[in-house]
Amino acid sequence: MDIKTILKNLSNLDGPSGYEYKVIEYIKTEAEKIPNTTNYVDNQGNLIVKREGKGKKIALFAHTDEIGFVITKKELGNYFRFHTFGGVDPKIVISQRLRIHTKKGIAYGVVGMLEPHLQTEEMRQRVLTFDDLFMDVVENSEYVSIGDLATFSSEAFELNEKYVTGKALDNRASCTTLLYTLYLLNQYVVENEVYFVFSVREEDGTSGASTSAYHINPDLAIVLDVTHGDIYRPGYPKIETGKGPVLDIGTMVDYKYFEKIKNIAEKISVNYQIEPNGEHSHTDTDRIQITREGIPTLLISIPLRYMHTPYEVVNIKDIEETARLLSYFIATGGE
Amino acid sequence: MLLKELSNLCGVSGFEQEIRNFIKEKIKDKVDDIKEDKLGNLIAFKEGKNNKKLMLTAHMDEVGFIVSNIEEDGKISIIPLGSIDPRVVLGKKVVIGEKKVPGIIGSKPVHLMTGYEGISSFENIKVDIGVSKKQEAENKVKIGDFVSFAPNAMLHKDWISGKALDDRGGCSILIDLIEANIEPFYNTYFTFVIQEETGLRGSGVAANQIDPDYAIVIETTTSGDNPEFPEARRSSELGKGPVITPAHRGYVNDEKLFNFAIKVAQENNIPYQIKRRTAGGTDAARIAITTGTPSLVISIPSRYIHSPMCVANLQDYQNTFKLLSIIITKEVN
Repeated sequence: MDIKTILKNLSNLDGPSGYEYKVIEYIKTEAEKIPNTTNYVDNQGNLIVKREGKGKKIALFAHTDEIGFVITKKELGNYFRFHTFGGVDPKIVISQRLRIHTKKGIAYGVVGMLEPHLQTEEMRQRVLTFDDLFMDVVENSEYVSIGDLATFSSEAFELNEKYVTGKALDNRASCTTLLYTLYLLNQYVVENEVYFVFSVREEDGTSGASTSAYHINPDLAIVLDVTHGDIYRPGYPKIETGKGPVLDIGTMVDYKYFEKIKNIAEKISVNYQIEPNGEHSHTDTDRIQITREGIPTLLISIPLRYMHTPYEVVNIKDIEETARLLSYFIATGGE
Repeated sequence: MLLKELSNLCGVSGFEQEIRNFIKEKIKDKVDDIKEDKLGNLIAFKEGKNNKKLMLTAHMDEVGFIVSNIEEDGKISIIPLGSIDPRVVLGKKVVIGEKKVPGIIGSKPVHLMTGYEGISSFENIKVDIGVSKKQEAENKVKIGDFVSFAPNAMLHKDWISGKALDDRGGCSILIDLIEANIEPFYNTYFTFVIQEETGLRGSGVAANQIDPDYAIVIETTTSGDNPEFPEARRSSELGKGPVITPAHRGYVNDEKLFNFAIKVAQENNIPYQIKRRTAGGTDAARIAITTGTPSLVISIPSRYIHSPMCVANLQDYQNTFKLLSIIITKEVN
C-alpha cells in the first residue's frame, strides 16, 4: 500500500464538515481494494467498513472532515466576506487562495492584503481578524452565494521524503492510518468483529462519530486523531513527530485498555509517546465514551506540526508504526 | 502573454538568472542585438526610424528572502529582500536555492495561542524543510541561498493570480512588444533589469550603457481598491486601464512624456488612469538620476503586490500592451 500517495490524495480532496462525500468516496474505493471487507455509508454520511468476526466488537474511528470557511456577505465587485468554522487563525489565511465550493462548481478567492506601500504605521501594527479580511473572487465570482463553503487550496507534497505536508492532514493522516491498519490486518487471523468508521463532522462539533458509535455499539472504541507535535507546551511532555504513536491518557480514556495497548507496544517494539488530557480531548472520543450505556475508549494520536494551517506536517513513519500497533492489538483481541 | 510562465519562475533580487534565461530564449531571434551586461541586465535592441534612443525597462526580480542562518534544530532563518509584510508569509510554501528545496513557513497552531497573539517579525519566522538537525539542513541549503515563494500562478478568465506579478507583468509586456514585431520609431532598447526591489540597482547601470534620450519604465503597481481601503487613499483601480504616473518617490515624471502618453491613450480610446499616490519609487528615479534621461512610468494596476498571491486584471494587461505598442511607433511630442 502506497501510504504517501494515499495521504497526499486525501489531503488534496476537499471535505469541509458536512460536505465530506468526495473524501468518503475515495476512502471507499481504497477500502474495497482490501480483501475481507464490506462497507456501507450511513444516513449521516459516515463510511463504515466492516470485517466480519465472532468475538467482541472493536470499532476504530477517524474523522474525514476538515476545517473551512463560509461565505457570509457579498461586497462590491467580486469581493466577499467570510468566516471560519473549526478554529482557524485569521493570520494564516492572509494571502491564501481559497477554493469555494459553489452549487455551480469551483470558484477561487484570494484573501488579499493591502500592499505595504499603501499602509500607514497604524495599519502595519494591526492584528487582523476575520472581520477585517475579505476574499477577492477571481474565478467564477458569479457562482458564489452566501453560505457556500470554502477550503484551503494548498497542494500536498513530500518534505524531505520522510514527511508529507498539506492541508487537512488533520485528520486525513488518521484516515490513511486506518486504511493501512485494515490492510495489515490480513496478515493475521482475526476473530473479532472489527469496524472502521470514517466519520463526518468532527471539526464543527463531533456529531458524526458518536452516532456511528451508537449504531455499532462496540465493546471497545479506538479513536484516531492528530495532536500537536514539535512544539513546546508548558506543563506538557514534548510530543515529537517521528517518535511513534501518541497514546492519550485522561478522563475520556479507558485505563485498562490504555495499559493493554501500552504493553502491546512494548512487546512488539513500537515506540510510543504519552500525552495527558484533562477534562476534554477535543476529539470524537469525548462523545463516544458517553454513548449508549458507555463505551470504553482509547485515543491514539498522530503527532502533527502547524495544525489547522494550509501546510500541516506529518511523519510517514508515525502512520506506519501506529498501523503496526493497531493491527497487532486488534488481532490479539485488544488484550 | 507569458505572464503565468514568468510568475512561476523564481527570480528573487540578485538571483534573476532563471528569468533572464527564459526571456533571452524567447526573444533572441526577434531582435537586432541582445547582450547581457556585467551585473546581469539583459539589453535587447531593435532599430528604429530615428537615431534617438528609447529605453523600455521592466525589472526581472521579485521580492523574496535569503537564508540568514541554519538553526540547531534544522530550521532555516531568513531575511527579506525587498519590502514584505511579515503578515503575508505564514502558512506558505517556499523553495530554497538553485535546487529549489521545498519548505514551508509554519505557524503556531491557533489552539495553543494564549490570548490574542500579535504579528510575527522576521526574526521569529522560520522555514521548515523537514529536517531536525543543523547538519542535515546543511546538506540541503546554505547561508546566502535565495528563498522564493513557491510557484502558484493561475490564469482565470478575467484575472491572473500568483506571486511576482511585480514586475513579471512588465517583463511579459516587453516580450509581447518584441513578439508583435512592431517597427519602433526610435532605436529602442528593451531592457530587463536586475534588483529593482533592493534599491533600483540594475537600471542605472543599464542606462549608462545606453545613454537613452527617453525612458519608459513598465511596472506592475499598487492599487488598494479593496473594501477596507477608502477610495480617497487608493493609488489605482483594477479594470480601469494602464496607470500613468505623474510623480513618485524620487522623481517627478517627465512632463512631455506624461502628456504624450495621455494623448496617445485618448486618441486611441484606450482607458487609462493617473496614479493617485506617490508611494513607492521605480527605476525611473534611478535612470533620471543616472543619465538625466526624461522618464515615465506606465504600470499594470495590481492588488496585493509584494505578497505570494497578487491579482491583476487581464484587460488592464491588454490595454497596457496596446498603449505601449502605439507609443513606441510614435515620435514624442
